[in-house]
Amino acid sequence: MQPRPPPRPWWLAAIIVALGAVSVWGASSLPAASRYAGIGPGTVPRLVGWALIGLGIILAVQIARGETFEPQGTENADAALPMNPLAFALALAAAVLPIFALKTLGLPLVAMVSFTLVARSFGSRRLAVDVVSGAILGSLAWFLFDRLGLQLGGFMPFAGLGS
Amino acid sequence: MSSFDYLLHGFGIALQPMNLLWALIGSALGTAIGVLPGIGPALTIALLLPVTVSIAPTAAFIMFAGVLYGAMYGGSTTSILINTPGESGSMMTALEGNRMARDGRGAAALATAAIGSFVAGTIATIALTFLAPVVAELAFIFRPADYFALIMLAFCSVAVVMGSSRVRGFIALLLGIGMGTVGIDVMTGQPRLTFGVMGLLNGIELTVVLVSLFAMGEILFVASRYDPGQEVPIKVRGRWMTGEDLRRSWKPWLRGTVLGFPMGVLPGGGSEIPTMLSYTLERKLCEKPEDFGTVGAIEGVAGPEAANNAAAAGVLVPLLTLGLPTSATAAILLAAFQNYGLQPGPNLFTANPDLVWGLIASLYIGNAMLLILNLPLVGMWVRLLSIPKPQLYAGILIFALIGIWGVSGSQIDLIIMVVVGVAGYVMRVYDFPIAPVLIGLILGPMAEYQLRTALLSRQGSAWVLVETPISITFLAVAALTFILPPLIRRLRASS
Repeated sequence: MQPRPPPRPWWLAAIIVALGAVSVWGASSLPAASRYAGIGPGTVPRLVGWALIGLGIILAVQIARGETFEPQGTENADAALPMNPLAFALALAAAVLPIFALKTLGLPLVAMVSFTLVARSFGSRRLAVDVVSGAILGSLAWFLFDRLGLQLGGFMPFAGLGS
Repeated sequence: MSSFDYLLHGFGIALQPMNLLWALIGSALGTAIGVLPGIGPALTIALLLPVTVSIAPTAAFIMFAGVLYGAMYGGSTTSILINTPGESGSMMTALEGNRMARDGRGAAALATAAIGSFVAGTIATIALTFLAPVVAELAFIFRPADYFALIMLAFCSVAVVMGSSRVRGFIALLLGIGMGTVGIDVMTGQPRLTFGVMGLLNGIELTVVLVSLFAMGEILFVASRYDPGQEVPIKVRGRWMTGEDLRRSWKPWLRGTVLGFPMGVLPGGGSEIPTMLSYTLERKLCEKPEDFGTVGAIEGVAGPEAANNAAAAGVLVPLLTLGLPTSATAAILLAAFQNYGLQPGPNLFTANPDLVWGLIASLYIGNAMLLILNLPLVGMWVRLLSIPKPQLYAGILIFALIGIWGVSGSQIDLIIMVVVGVAGYVMRVYDFPIAPVLIGLILGPMAEYQLRTALLSRQGSAWVLVETPISITFLAVAALTFILPPLIRRLRASS
């Protein structure tokens, strides 16, 4: 069996170049120079943009030359393991949900669902335990931080609970 | 008043019962998060920032100092007992410390780590006490161009030192600077890079980016490559410290401190390099080199631990005196200062002596507290490891949500959390350093402001940037950080 060739993450370089282009484009409507300072509000975004484009191209050259990328080691993760797409998707869903639901459902309920999703993505099979612990943690945190003066929204806004 | 009088005054503040309580809360919290995986001191302080709404700045910073030091004590505990260094600074401790624990000398390893941290932390705090006011005095003569040059130096060294590749280091830095330009331009009032989104007018908050990169990025990364192997901490055995242990430890403690503190003061120094240097040095100087890598050498724990703590205290020098953060934790501390409308720098010493000296005095107290909290109570902290990981990471997400939603209540910030969180995941997989993003985000706007102020004073002539010896020196050193490493590599290759 032949060793697999190292992956070539071209998309990584493409994203860096694209981000640089966005910065240059966003700066194009801003004045580059004011009369007295020589530079204006557009200068730095433009510089950063071009620098990112340049570095993206260098990164692409490195990738073409076979640069290898080793995942950073961290606790509880095995960097050598292949990515588990389902676990990733579940954890991502837990982060995306609040964007749509936090305002209407309120923190405790969203915390309950997100907690369960993350626990599940880490392989937890005890659904009932996770739902209950998520609900308790979310409610406790809501009461505690609400007392501390944080604006966390209503307890359950859709039911008209909490202020 | 001299530094010493100010310090006594600071003790008067730090020893007030309420402030002692905050120091205790901070130290305990710091130790707990140091032991737990997935959360570091920077993330903890970021998540605690909302609390600053309701407590006074002095109390808040005393608590943050406890978190900062406590996290290092906790990190060394897990390095020794389960061989998982929670942060890069305790990587070297794990090498020898874990071997000692396996050999039945866990108690001695923990003791030398804790006492070494205490000794180094105390000496470094003394150095900070007397060095900081001097640097602050010097900083009064800094002009905008000098500040700009200093920040350029910090940028170059952070991007070059952190991480494995300079290209990726600079990409990370520029992403941070780029995010820093989003929002209303302070000098002209024009919205920049907001693309018509109202929620972006106020800019992208450091807290949001930090929480997203550290908490969200970490959760996504660990979830996708989760290794459910349950690590069992080695039982703490053996005597705490014999005369022989003490005799072998005290010199490494002092050498580690001498290495760590100046490295922490320098921009981009961080804690990896001094701990690594200390480990190498102790290995060379050890009377029993055969212990290294076999049964575990106590010198290899004592030195790096001291270096780690001394470096952490050193980081506070540029932060307090120049307002220049050189690590992720320092960046979030700067954000905390800004939350209170305070700007660290030379003026802070004259405008808020209570805060500065109360904070410095609380570092001494925190160190003593941590020694007591950690040695006899180590069994209690280790028990934290039995929290099941799925629920632990789920809990981290909830606190991240509160940290982001609680401050602004803005949906834009939640979207940023997802986008930056995914970016944090990609950065972990493809080995981009994360700290430069945060440094760029917080220092980028400062660099731009100083640059524009400097140019404004000379009608846009770029010569103003190289008019003073200070700015020329900083820029030259910044250029050196660029040129030197490849040059050394080439020289080595040719010899």
